Formats: sequence, structure tokens, C-alpha cells
Amino acid sequence: MKDISKSINKVDNDEKISGSAKYIADFVMDGMLYAMTKRSTISKGEIVKIDYPQLPDGYYIINHKDVQGKNVIKVIFEDWPVFTDKKISYLYEPIMLVIGPDKNILTQLLDSIQITYKEETPLFDWTDSVIDYHFDKGKGNRIFDQADKVIEHTYHTGYQEQAYIEPQGFIGYPEGDKTTLIGSIQCPYYVKNAVKQAIGEKDENVRVIQSTVGGAFGGKEEYPSLIGCQLAVAVKKIKKPIKLIFEREEDMSVTTKRHPSKTVFKAAIKDRKIIGLKAHVSIDAGATIGLSGVVLSRALLAVSGAYTVDHLDVSGNVFRTNTVPNGAFRGFGAPQMFFAVDMFVEHVAKELNQDPLEFRKKMLVKQGDRTSTNGLFRDPVLMPEMIEKAIKESNYLKKIEDYSKKGNYKGIGMSLFYHGCGFTGSGEKDVIKAKVKLKKDKNKKVYILVAAVDMGQGVKTTFRKLISHMLDIDIKDVIYHNPDTDFVPDSGPTVASRTMMIVGGLLARAAKEMKKRWNEEEFIVMKEYEQPDYIEYDEKHFIGDAYPAYSWGVNIVEVEVDPVTYQVDLKKAWSVYDAGKAIDERVVLGQADGGLAQGLGYGYLEVMNHKNGKIMQKNMTDYIIPTAMDLCDMDTFLFDNPYAYGPYGAKGVGELTLIGGAPAIAKAIENAIGKNVFKIPVTPEYIMELINHD
Amino acid sequence: MKSYIAKNLVNALEVLNKDECEIVAGGTDMLIQNRSHTGMSIGYKTNVLYISLIKELDYIKEDSHYIYIGATTKLESILKNKITPIILKKIIHEMASPAIRHTATLIGNIANASPAGDSIVGLYALNAKVRCQCINGERIVPLHKFIRGVRIIDLKFNEMITEVIIPKNDFSSIAFKKVAPRKSDAISKMSFVGLLKIEDDLLLDLRIALGAVYITVVRNKDIESKYIGKNIKELKENIDNILKDYEPLIKPIDDQRSNKEYRKKVALNLIKDFLLNV
Repeated sequence: MKDISKSINKVDNDEKISGSAKYIADFVMDGMLYAMTKRSTISKGEIVKIDYPQLPDGYYIINHKDVQGKNVIKVIFEDWPVFTDKKISYLYEPIMLVIGPDKNILTQLLDSIQITYKEETPLFDWTDSVIDYHFDKGKGNRIFDQADKVIEHTYHTGYQEQAYIEPQGFIGYPEGDKTTLIGSIQCPYYVKNAVKQAIGEKDENVRVIQSTVGGAFGGKEEYPSLIGCQLAVAVKKIKKPIKLIFEREEDMSVTTKRHPSKTVFKAAIKDRKIIGLKAHVSIDAGATIGLSGVVLSRALLAVSGAYTVDHLDVSGNVFRTNTVPNGAFRGFGAPQMFFAVDMFVEHVAKELNQDPLEFRKKMLVKQGDRTSTNGLFRDPVLMPEMIEKAIKESNYLKKIEDYSKKGNYKGIGMSLFYHGCGFTGSGEKDVIKAKVKLKKDKNKKVYILVAAVDMGQGVKTTFRKLISHMLDIDIKDVIYHNPDTDFVPDSGPTVASRTMMIVGGLLARAAKEMKKRWNEEEFIVMKEYEQPDYIEYDEKHFIGDAYPAYSWGVNIVEVEVDPVTYQVDLKKAWSVYDAGKAIDERVVLGQADGGLAQGLGYGYLEVMNHKNGKIMQKNMTDYIIPTAMDLCDMDTFLFDNPYAYGPYGAKGVGELTLIGGAPAIAKAIENAIGKNVFKIPVTPEYIMELINHD
Repeated sequence: MKSYIAKNLVNALEVLNKDECEIVAGGTDMLIQNRSHTGMSIGYKTNVLYISLIKELDYIKEDSHYIYIGATTKLESILKNKITPIILKKIIHEMASPAIRHTATLIGNIANASPAGDSIVGLYALNAKVRCQCINGERIVPLHKFIRGVRIIDLKFNEMITEVIIPKNDFSSIAFKKVAPRKSDAISKMSFVGLLKIEDDLLLDLRIALGAVYITVVRNKDIESKYIGKNIKELKENIDNILKDYEPLIKPIDDQRSNKEYRKKVALNLIKDFLLNV
């Protein structure tokens, strides 16, 4: 049998290149209305009075009074109203939808709705803690009694915007008693379950269909549940097709972003070694808590990075502020922590006058080591070989020696990192409980029935390839439509680098059974998630195996800094990844290039901040993501390290590739300018400050 | 709101004489400034006059002293034309992506009068002038007098800019730096143009122009003339003095793209770097 990793063309190449793929903006229905959102103009306070204009015939206003179910979005922590009743907790909070056939009239109506507020002083400082976590490993804080030296540093990370190509959008329409939504989404069942709760309907009366998705990066994990609920409320009342699509500026001003963070690290040093770490992580949730607790967890779990430290004292807080709610973004807390910890370990090594690379290599996680929560790294860890490969390919040792001489403004940096694959903790077992179906029909066509979404990452290709490979049939005979909740079971959301490993793993089990029963004419195989029995996790106390498997990575980045303008020029990047086994090599390399580009952008380019609660970079002119001109050649090498429960050994890959970009480029810049970097993005403005202030 | 499409210059001037209009040439800034929701028409708040079909204003020509560029000439044509000053070519190449270069005009960049407009910085350094015409006549105004402030120009309601006039000059050293947040498709944080002419070790001409560090382009002929006539050694010895001269003129702001400390420091660094490399 041929190696599954050998690349094939992506199955959606033709429709995407030719432009025939149907995105949500392409859907038009008879009698379709448009919805626009009236938003708050203050960051905190209460609505005192609303003066409505006379509505022309065929125009509607939908607000909290129309919500027949529960006026709260179903996410991990339920504190996000479908429409606010009167309390305003962030700028541009949605108050109502204005709906009708003509957008010109809608914009006039939006302008003529007068809202009187009682304004309060908004909170932007991180003082209102809503989640507080703490756990220890080994001796915890007491290890500091044995320290002969303590080193402390603080690290900051900023907002990051997903910058998906296609903004948020849905079209909703009635089908008899049913309310149906088609949307640009990552998680059909998240939307469905949220809508059920908001409109108070039975399961069979809500249907959610995924349109072709033009990028998501986490931004379409929970946010679509909000506007999906708003639209469903409207469709149920008005009983006509309605389209709600954000313009770019609206999207960037109001949708969820990566949580800004602050991490304070203390290292207990004895005999020039780190014997223990104490870390405190603060993240800014914005106005609603939503899934911020899980983002914080993922950050805390990665507290010792790719290194094993026996004694840890780990704590963190989620702070609520009167700013736009923050949410899911590729990496989910890990990019913040890996930046902080990988910089910190490097800084400690430098302060101890030790070679940072040797210092880090000695601390690397090995198979059989304990995780931060006393789980086990059960599988082989190939990091030493991967580092060696990256060093050889990049000529790292020679370059770091040359570049460390003062005044040449060239630099090279290396990040070491991992990503826990799948949901954090017991999520898969207790919350998601994924189900998949595989159906064979009379014509020997096989249908993949799952809720996983192809948002550009290539799962339509890799799932079909997986099944055709396992059943030894032509990929043309494997059919995988965009998920429709009326036809596919809930295989869980398309998040957390779980799609191939978890959903693909279940499909592989189903295919195995199908192969045995292949002589049967027409049948369906269903599989449900079963947690590997060795996995046990105590979510409350942070004890045990937080993830079933880990993917690993090494990034090396080379830069040159312009001493006149302090601008950074990316020269080249080398990456080595262990994602178990690539189901399609080119698909994985696509993730590698895109993920690293996004991680590098996070590290040196992508500035986003708010001023009095207002996002300042609200369009693609002001929010700077790297273009092809900014990026460099990226060489990527994949190591096979099959995981027993992944199909053909596949682990997660989507998020892994973003995580190492920021610390690698930050270290390269450090090397180029001879100063330590403590925050990202490392902008020219920050580099100037570092160079000019001793 | 009315919109007019002019087929020729007379036609355009007649329209302007009877109706106040915003003039649209390439439209690459006007469309963004007046954007509305997808599927809606452009949200102009005034009457508009489209001039891009006026063929007679699509030209680059020269005589012994000047280069003339018409109002509907696209940036791409200017970039490709051999009579275009090299510094202007450098600027156009960096300031706009191919798609924009094939649509936008140089005069549109002047009329937009953004402090971050890159071509304006070069045109200030080149002592460019603009020709403004109305139904009753015309006038020629030096660019630095024509641009009065942020998006404020000295154009009467019945006038349009028909031409930019660039004096011909030779330089022995030219420099342009667009300091942008990334390498393409980005608005400048600040920009710099340096031009100078040296003959027999003597500085015969010196021009320094800075964009996005004040409400309009910063260029100061008094400072320049203080150092013209010096030899290279004297020029280099005077770099600190030159920086001191410019320092009070550089008054940038903080915005969503950068901060004033950075803009100021980099402006001074670029002047220094230009002079050091003479």
C-alpha cells in the first residue's frame, strides 16, 4: 500500500480557483431581506430610552423582547446576551437588528433610532477578576526556599485579529416550523444548540448548514452563535429569508480577538539551574467571560513550555473589562504562554551566563516526564533529533556566533514548543461526546457524515483521502458534503486541532468496520468517542493528563534589523514538526506556511489596541498582516511519530504551526539588537525604545 | 446627488462652473472615503464629476525646462515613461500596488492632500507646481502654497487641477524611504526624500522633504541654503547642526499606525543617513 502522506490535489481546488464555490455572500433567495445591527455608542452604562422612527412597510426591528427562549448565548460560560435588554458593557454592543429589503433605507433607519444612555465610567484596567485558577506541581512555591537566586521577568502579548478572508455572515430562512441557517461557521452544532436555547425550539426545528468558509482561525468558533441566534430570532418572527453579513470594519470592531496577556515569571535558581518556576498569567476577557477560562487553562498548562520543571506554582486570572469580548483564536492561550516561557528560559540562561541552547536542551521534555499537571508524556519525544535537524539546515550555530557580535544587526532565534491535541481536559469525554457516521449506498458510494468544517485547512481532502485509502476505493466514490445538522451527527466543533486526530480517528474506526462488512449492500456505521482508558484528568484541581497526545515543533527564524528605521526584514525560516503522521503532506505544509506566517505576524507586525474601548485598527489598511513581500522562504521538515489513536498515527497540526513564530522572531530580533524583548509585537517603535534606552 | 461624466476639458470646466462637485479621477481614495455597504451604491455626500475619460489630460510631455503630467495620467504610465524623474519613479513604485498604479493618478494624490501622501513628498522636493484651470482662465501655483493643510487645498469651486509641472534638474544623489508598517500595500508612518547635487566637491543643491511628520510636507529652503556652497567635508561636519535645524520642524502625531517619538527619531535618522552616505 502506498504511503498515505503522498500529496494529492486538494479536492476543492477547482471550485475555489474558478470562483464557483458558494460563499455566504453568494446566496440569494426570493424575497430576501437584509439585517443590520444597531449598536451602543458607549462602553458602559444603561439604556434609558429608545426613540424609534416610523417604520416603513416591510421593515422590522428585532430586539431582546423578541427572544422567546433564553436571552443568553450557549457557550462554556453563559454571560453573553443575544440582545442586551438595557445594560451596556462594551462599545458597539448589539442592541437590535433593523431588517428590511433596501439597505439604503436600513442605514437611514439605523441613523434615526435615538438611544439615550445613562453612562458610567468604563473599566479598562485589569482589576475585575472573574476566574481565578491555581495549581502546584512538586513542592510548588516552597521550592523557592532552596533557591540561591531568584530571577523575575514580565511578558506582555497584545490582541490578535483572525483576519479571515470572508467576514462573519449568515442567511436564515423558515422551512415550515423549522428555522434554518446557512453560515460561514466552524461549528454547526454550537450554532444549532445556541439557537435552540435562544428561540426555545425543539431539536428538529433548528437546522444549521455550513456554506463554504473563507477562513476562520477560531474567529468562527463561538462568535457565529451570537449572530446566528439574533438572526434566528428574526427569522422565526418575520418568517422570511434574511441575510446578515458584516462589513469588514464592523467585523473587526465587534468580533472576538485573541486575549491580550501579561505573564509574570519567577525562576528559583540553584547551582545555575532552574529548580522551580512560579508563574502568574492575566488575560483580558473583554466584556464577557465566554470561553476565556479554557483559554487561560491552556496557557497555564503550558507553563513550563517544551521543558520539564519539577516544581511549579501556577496561577492565573481572567479579567473582565468594558471592551470587545475576546475569544477563540488558533492556539487558544498557547501562543501567549509559549512566547512568555520560551523567552523567559532564554533570558534566565543569559543571566546565568550559560549558553541558552545548551541550557534549554538539558531541560527538554523526555518521554516519561511529568507534565505540568503530573500527567505523563507517554509517547516518544523527538525534540533532540528535531532540533539537530533545524540547526543543521539553518547553520544556526555558526550564525548565532557571528550575529552575536555587536553592531551587525543580524539575528537568528529558535523556539521550542508543543501543542496539546484535542480538547483540554475531559472535554472530549464529558462535553463533546463526538459521533461520526459512515454510510455505504447501493452504488458503492461512501458518505462521510460528520460536522467537521473545511475552512480552508483541507479536511475535505484529507478525510476523503483517509477513507478511500482505508477502504481501498477511488476518492471520487467518497462523498463529503458541507455539514448540515439535519443529516450529520454531532462530531463536535472544528477546533482544538482535534479534527484529524479525534474525528478522523473515529472515521478510521468506522472505515475498518465498513471494510469488514463491505459485502453488505447498504449500511451505516456509527462510532462514538471513547477516551483512551489511561487518560484521567481532574479539571478542578488541574491534576492528570490534560491532553491525550502532543504535537511538537522547532522554529528557527533569521532577521536583519534596519538601524535607521528599526524595521525588521525576515530573511529565512526553518521549521521541524512532529504531528504524528501527515495524512497529506502538502496539506500539512500549507498549515506550516500559513501558521508560521500568522505566528510571525503576531510576533512582529500585527498591532491592535483599543482606545477607550474602541479598536483602533479596524480595517485591513490599519491592521497589518504580513504580505508575500514581507515573508521569507520557509523550509519545513516533518518527522513521523505515529500516535496510537490517531488515524495512521496523525496528531494535531493546525494550531501547532502558529505557536513558535512569535518567540522565534522575538529571539532573532534580540540577537540582532543585543537587547532583551519582553513584549510582542516587536514593532520598530519598540525596537527603537530598546536600542535607545539602556 | 448628481454625477457628471466629462468627455473633454471644456465639458468638465463647464460643469464645474455651474455646479459644485467633487472631482473623481482614479477614485482610489474617493471610493474608500465614501464607501458604503456591499451592494449599495457609493455613498458620495456631494455631486461628483468623473474626469477619467478626458483623453486630452492623459499625457507626460516635456520642454527644455519642465516636465508636464496631465490630470488623468495614471501612475503606471508615469512609472513607465522615460522622462519621469527617477525619484518620482522610485516613489510610485513603492507607494502603490500594481492594481492601484493602473487606476490612480498623481494629481489625485495631490488633491487628496493627505500628510501621508508619498508622491507629494517627492513633488515638494522637486519644486513642482500645479496648473489650475476654470472656464475663465488658469493659474499656476507652487505645490507648497497649494496644499494648505490636512486635506485642504487652494482650489476654487469652479477650478480643477489639470496638470503638474516639474522643473527639470540633475541630482548626484537621490534617496526615497517610505517607512511603512510592512513592505507593500501600506500607508506610510512617515516618508523621506533627499536630493542633492555636488560638483567639484561643492554642494550646489540640497533638498530634504519629510512626509507625515507635520500637517503638510516639511521642506525648508532656509535650512537647505545655509549649507549649499559647502564642501563635502564641511557638510559632514555640520550633520549635527543640520539635525538641530530640522528638529523643531518635525512635529508628528500619535495615531493607529505609529507614535510621534518614532516618527521624529526616524525622520532625523534618515536625514543623517542620507548625508552620511554622500
